[in-house]
Amino acid sequence: MIPDYYEFCNSTKIVSGARAIEHIGYELAALGASRPLVLTNAQLLELKVATIVIDALADTDAEVAGVYDAVPVDSSAAVVDDVARAYREAGADAIVAVGGGSVLDTAKGAMIVLTHGGSLMEHRGAESLLGRRAVTFIAIPTTAGTGSEVTSAAVIKDTDRHVKMGFTSLSLLPDVAILDPRLTVGLPPRLTASTAMDALTHAVESVSCVQANPLSDCYAKAAIGLIRDYLPVALDDPRSSKARLALANAALMAGAAFSNAMVGIVHAMGHAAGGVAGIPHGEAMSVLLPHGMAYNLDVACDRYGELLIDLAGVETHAATPAADRGAAAIGAVRSITALLHERTGLPVTLGEMGVQPEQIPDIARAALDDGAMSMNPKQPSYEELIDILKGAL
Amino acid sequence: MARTGWRAKRGRKAVAAVVFAVLGRGLVAAARLDERVRAEAASWPEDTVITLRIAPFGPQVSWRMGEGVLEYLGGAQVTPSLAVTFKSVDGALPLLVGMKSVLGAFAEHRATVAGDLALAMSFVRCLHIVEGYLFPDLMTRRILPRPAERRAGHLVAYGTLVFRRARLEGASS
Ligand SMILES: [Fe+2]
Repeated sequence: MIPDYYEFCNSTKIVSGARAIEHIGYELAALGASRPLVLTNAQLLELKVATIVIDALADTDAEVAGVYDAVPVDSSAAVVDDVARAYREAGADAIVAVGGGSVLDTAKGAMIVLTHGGSLMEHRGAESLLGRRAVTFIAIPTTAGTGSEVTSAAVIKDTDRHVKMGFTSLSLLPDVAILDPRLTVGLPPRLTASTAMDALTHAVESVSCVQANPLSDCYAKAAIGLIRDYLPVALDDPRSSKARLALANAALMAGAAFSNAMVGIVHAMGHAAGGVAGIPHGEAMSVLLPHGMAYNLDVACDRYGELLIDLAGVETHAATPAADRGAAAIGAVRSITALLHERTGLPVTLGEMGVQPEQIPDIARAALDDGAMSMNPKQPSYEELIDILKGAL
Repeated sequence: MARTGWRAKRGRKAVAAVVFAVLGRGLVAAARLDERVRAEAASWPEDTVITLRIAPFGPQVSWRMGEGVLEYLGGAQVTPSLAVTFKSVDGALPLLVGMKSVLGAFAEHRATVAGDLALAMSFVRCLHIVEGYLFPDLMTRRILPRPAERRAGHLVAYGTLVFRRARLEGASS
């Protein structure tokens, strides 16, 4: 597979392994920074997850300029401005973000304001931020799903204007991403499963989207293989460092894949279902992935077929005729979601999550307008979307 | 072999300028004739200025949404609320001559967007509809996400274009 033209960037240094966080002093020094502002939320401090990072920082040349622990689950432009203010007041020269997608996106927003000045609103756009970033940025994810530690995008709400602001720029990529299994061993089974399904969806969608390229494919396929091998291990033995590290790496690789190749119809429907019915992102992905793949099958059959080896293993791949591998890949995804349903109670229908039939038209309309839809290999009509969503109900 | 050098580049920019002029008036005509474009444009905030341009020195074309009516601003210097900028004339040309879709150009990182991405999506949907009027089916089948659906006939659309163009030229001469 070689596109006529493509671009790929993953400039983030990856530091992955047991006690990897203990290298944070070296990483900051290597980047010329010595006064990091730690960005996290109160819950992660309470669970003693963010504390691992703060303790590691205590034993370095760096001096913690401050700990900002007030990032809410749904971050906003106001929070971003407040973080930028705290950064300036503390005289910080780096942000160490410890958390999930919301904390990492807040850090990205703050970097935009600190680098380019003015309000966040003025800098909305895609690839429009030019020049070097003024802030050193280390990202430490505490879930294995979003892949935000290697994505060039951020979504932040403007609560006053009730709009979601989107930003994509390579200047949002962290300098370093640290994956340490100590941060994810405590995740409950259902959250482990749903975040892994988010990562799996990033990988699968990146392969079938219009920006797929040989490099994003490598990341996506490796991510799928790790999830297949290690998600069951993490469910059997939640404190397995090896399984946690593998899932963190899978989420990161799937993040790098979709940051460059984008996501499509499954995310468009998932964002819409989240907005209309408030269902959690990872669970929506788990339910909708096989349905989105089935819709794309006629145009993406060969691409999905390539994934069978990673989704189901080499024997299944070899035993399946080439023409049937695309459909078999969907079957493999269905067996994974069925297993997760049985093991963790992860839903397999929208109905189980409380989506009502009368909400389907609103979800379909919002999905059509979602930016992710435009990168899908095939554009559904409103009626087709209604059918897909009803099928998932 | 493709011609290179400043002369060829100037030629490509001249083609782009012509297409921008046609697209510029085409979008205004479609906003009056096609209810889909009208509905999209009606959702744009008052005083929205949208600019489509080629970096670094143009050409460019702009539109302004004023009092519910979409206005063609031509190549005038403006401060856009939404700017779609092609990184090079070579990246823009396949799209401008109907060889590549707008979304395809975005997919290939040929253009940047400064401004609200949701507004940019709405603008792209309008461009797709306008392309449906400007280019024959043979081309739109390849570049549009779904078959072009023309709410007003080609002829009416072209007629409007010509009429407006004549009026504009009349006004400026
Ligand atoms: Fe996702």
